[in-house]
Amino acid sequence: MAATIAGVFKPEVQNLIINSKILLVGSGGIGCEVLKNLVMLGFCNIEVIDLDTIEVSNLNRQFLFNKESVGKPKSHVAKTSVLKFNPNVNITSHFGDITDNKYGVAFFNKFKLVINALDNKKARSHVNRMCLSCEIPLIESGTMGYQGQVEFILKGVSMCFECNARSEPKSYPMCTIRNTPREPIHCIIWAKYLFSQLFGNSDEDVSMEQKEEVEGGYEKLSARNWAIKNEYNPKKLFKKIFFDDIIYLLGMSHLYEGRIIKPVLLDESLLEQEYCEYNHVPDNKILTLEQSISMFSDSVTAIKEKLGESNAECLTWDKDDDNFMSFVVSCSNIRSAIFNIPFKSYFDIKSMAGNIIPAIATANAMVAGQIVIHALRILQKKYDRCQNVFLRSMPNHKGGLLVKDKDVLKPNPKCNVCISDGEILLVTDTHKFTIRQLEELVLKKKLNMVAPDVQIDDRVIISSDADDEVNMYDLTLLEAGLKDRSTFEVDDGLQSFIIKIKVHHQEKYEEEEPDFEIFNNMNEFNAANEINKYMELNENDDDCVIEEKTVDSSGSGVCVNNEDIKEAVMVSKKEVTEEISNEEGTEEISNKEGTEEISNEEGTEEISNKEGIEEISNKEGAKDITNGEGAEEILAIKRKAAEEIEDINDVKKSRVD
Amino acid sequence: MAVPSPKSPEQSERSRKYDRQLRLWGDQGQQDLETAHVCLINATALGTEILKSLVLPGIGAFTIIDNEVITEEDVGSNFFVTADKIGEKRGSIASQLLCELNSDTRGHFIDECLLKLLDLNPGLFKTFTVVVTTSLHEKEIIDLSHKLWTYNIPLLVCQSYGFFGSMRLQLAEHTMIKTHPDNQNPDLRLDCPFQKLKAHFDTYNLEALDLTNHLHVPYLVILYKHLEKWRNDIGNVNALPETYKQKQVIRDNIKNSIRKHENGTLYHEENFEEAIRSVNFAYNRTSLSENIQLILKDEKLMNLTLNSQPFWIMVKALKDFVDNEGCGKLPVRGTLPDMTADTFKYISLQQLYHEQAAKDAEAVYNRVQQLLQHVNLPDDTITEQDIKIFCKHASELCVIRGTRIADEYERKGNADNEISQSLEDPDSLIEHYIILRGIERFYSEYYTYPGEIDEQVEPDIPKLKLCISNLLSEWGCMYSTKEDYIHEYCRYGKSELHSVSSFIGGCVSHEIIKIITRQYKPVNNSFVFNAINCSTESFTL
Repeated sequence: MAATIAGVFKPEVQNLIINSKILLVGSGGIGCEVLKNLVMLGFCNIEVIDLDTIEVSNLNRQFLFNKESVGKPKSHVAKTSVLKFNPNVNITSHFGDITDNKYGVAFFNKFKLVINALDNKKARSHVNRMCLSCEIPLIESGTMGYQGQVEFILKGVSMCFECNARSEPKSYPMCTIRNTPREPIHCIIWAKYLFSQLFGNSDEDVSMEQKEEVEGGYEKLSARNWAIKNEYNPKKLFKKIFFDDIIYLLGMSHLYEGRIIKPVLLDESLLEQEYCEYNHVPDNKILTLEQSISMFSDSVTAIKEKLGESNAECLTWDKDDDNFMSFVVSCSNIRSAIFNIPFKSYFDIKSMAGNIIPAIATANAMVAGQIVIHALRILQKKYDRCQNVFLRSMPNHKGGLLVKDKDVLKPNPKCNVCISDGEILLVTDTHKFTIRQLEELVLKKKLNMVAPDVQIDDRVIISSDADDEVNMYDLTLLEAGLKDRSTFEVDDGLQSFIIKIKVHHQEKYEEEEPDFEIFNNMNEFNAANEINKYMELNENDDDCVIEEKTVDSSGSGVCVNNEDIKEAVMVSKKEVTEEISNEEGTEEISNKEGTEEISNEEGTEEISNKEGIEEISNKEGAKDITNGEGAEEILAIKRKAAEEIEDINDVKKSRVD
Repeated sequence: MAVPSPKSPEQSERSRKYDRQLRLWGDQGQQDLETAHVCLINATALGTEILKSLVLPGIGAFTIIDNEVITEEDVGSNFFVTADKIGEKRGSIASQLLCELNSDTRGHFIDECLLKLLDLNPGLFKTFTVVVTTSLHEKEIIDLSHKLWTYNIPLLVCQSYGFFGSMRLQLAEHTMIKTHPDNQNPDLRLDCPFQKLKAHFDTYNLEALDLTNHLHVPYLVILYKHLEKWRNDIGNVNALPETYKQKQVIRDNIKNSIRKHENGTLYHEENFEEAIRSVNFAYNRTSLSENIQLILKDEKLMNLTLNSQPFWIMVKALKDFVDNEGCGKLPVRGTLPDMTADTFKYISLQQLYHEQAAKDAEAVYNRVQQLLQHVNLPDDTITEQDIKIFCKHASELCVIRGTRIADEYERKGNADNEISQSLEDPDSLIEHYIILRGIERFYSEYYTYPGEIDEQVEPDIPKLKLCISNLLSEWGCMYSTKEDYIHEYCRYGKSELHSVSSFIGGCVSHEIIKIITRQYKPVNNSFVFNAINCSTESFTL
């Protein structure tokens, strides 16, 4: 193998290559390439772990798989394929979740180096913590379209994965989804919920219970049971979901009081419309309302059949199933028609519904090449030469495609994960927030812990041990003794991660307000409040009054039907963000980001503010419809804006997760 | 009711398999890839890595030209040959294994020496979309470069050598429509609104609007009204605000027209704030960029013939449009940025731009039809859809006329200059280009690579040095390469490092995809990678 070729590597490096055991986490796009590169360089002790099975859409880049291997575990197939080319290496493959407690400290300690080729933040954070606690060097990587990056992480030597805040997946308040959608994405998420409610295993209902005549009176049926009883008749379903449910919504007068957004019933003639051919329309074109309705009934019929065939009780939504996609596309567009929101094409909705990140072989090949070059340096302990490397989509002014930080970035002294056993601030309504929510939403989802334990004064509040019988979960924080200004400690034994959480009580009035917020300290909390104040000031501008009108539906793809209604103002996100970042509250934050950016290399800062914002607003699609005036709307925008700032900063840093 | 599946099974399979990349280059780009035929000369580790990243996204076909047999070194660095095949034809085995990656791609193999092929069957090369080479010798590079230059077939000459690698791209003429520019100003025409747009602007009387409507006027209207007012104020109906001061006047004017509460405080009118922010870019004069002017003057437009590329026929039609209906301007692009407005106002404005864009595109299309008739080409050589895309991207058209690689070797071009200039920067990677050239020279003289034979490492060092200093003096450069580097390169003895090849392979395939899809501008025109300190640099040789 290459390592034995005299000349290229000195004998001591050859020994390192032969004797170092490597853990590769993920065998997808980057993982396949890395595995090949490791083997080709002469590494002969490799363990690879992945929890995924192979899908058709992987085949355009994950070259160790082929059509025949679709459905099989990635890690096993990757191993078999590589061994076919190189039978003399020792590869162990695991089909499992790296956050599982069977891959604990003892497992990690076997390795000289860990390489992350993951696609989600939770697993990345977890491996980061495991490597910090075992003091094993970690290479973190990612690609997105033409871009990519490689980062080196070692406790005390470089920044860890969590030294800087990374962007979080967006979330939307449930009542926006249920009652007051303003953007295509709201309708798309709603359609996915509707899918799981009708065919899957749902925890959120978006369609109402239905009264049904039975012998001797009425009974109330859940939407799912109602659908089953009616054998998923597409016409009946269409009427229930897009007429009856909307009438019900309109009947709840308080919902739309003082609002510009308001659903408008579709024309009843659509209930009896003729089949409207849509198969000839390409994926990237927008269907008309009539076509969407036909697509809806086709997809319902097809999914019903699938449900019947599968014998399973439930189906899980999957963006790669054409019928499931058609269901979401048609439902979201029909709902958009009702709420006067622009339609989207199948192609775009797939991106949004499936959170699809474009991926190609070339970028993965480059990043993987770089990972292994880094790996060699790390094994030789030449840490000072392991700067973070970024792959650009276009050469910069100096013609560089690859840009690296000037130096290895030092750990952030305020990092709660790799430096201090820090303290963070949890702002929530202690009268309402439960211990279960604390565990699921804060500790696991937000803080990426996998096995948290909380004890207060020798009382176990949360336990990672299933054998412990803890019955505190339904208590509120206050009832469990976590009152305003109190501090408690969380310990994740698996990750060796300890953090102190200070509780700050804030009453929650509106359903749209978030259940909780996390801040690093009081200052950040106060800064965020400044934005609130600013937004509230502007609320006073509310002068628009809604006039109630019934409007005929128009058949065109774009909903211009109710032009008479004093309607939604379109706010491009760009505007909202710019606006907020001009305000003092956030200036501080953006300055901070600014300096960081400079300390990176020129290349990274090339991805300028403007570009970043542009990209985001494009991604989100043309228009966001929002009235921008009602109090609740403002809150939502504010939240959205805050998310946007994070996003932009993320783009600035050109990190790809 | 029957359940028609949304698309045919094959099509659906295809779009599913390629979904993640279709989101980058679209259906057209994918179609271009699927009809492309790439020729690889020498299936080295770098060569197969390049093809791998082209086969996966689905190029139509590849042909490997290679007359070597598999050696132990190949097995050590090349993933697409295996130890049990040592002694067999390298191109044949690589071609088989690469084909396993994607059943949509056809692989061919020609077991022949390149120079002989160029001599006996040069026409073969006309059948390729792109030719990419690895580990070629000087004479091969020169002959191939000449031949492909005359055929106007893109050539990429690539190398992976120890911790270094390079790529040189030769494009005689390359035309692009979708270049995906980084930042592009919107095409708003505020300075010269077309008739219907002007009429639409004139229907607005901002002062007379009730508050609700005032809040929902698209900012374009506000900008237009204030441009008129400003022109009126300064008494020049054609002026555009250019200086900061002039722009500031308009900004202040807009600010003053925001409605006030009874207590004198300003309403929060988002649309007006957007207008203020857009003053900077929205008042651009609608004109032809220098780049477009050059393209419209291109000599290719002088004598269109049956053999003219569709691109040039479209450009000629575009030029005629600009000179006539267009009144000196490109067709309207037809897209509008987001803005605060109610749906009705926004859409009526948007439709005006749409309609004008469609009208302009139709005019260009009519001219294309005339031109096609004139040169005796069938009507459907260029479709209406082609013209729509062409017009939408008219402002970003790009023509690249590169330089011939052979000129670098025969010292006819401007490369010497670029080299000596780059040498002034001590951190420049140009030094590695020079050393790699020196190694080629070395091979031409000794028929072996420096350090290829273990015992020869030391004696080869001065020989390589001599080759390099001869090259430098030919170029008239006063420079001596770093001693360390020469030792390092001799130590490599031509060995190829897989991860270096993996990286360069990715870069090269990237460029090939750009060239085949004619999207994004390719690197102009040389590229060097240093894996020791992870840096890349490009040069225009």
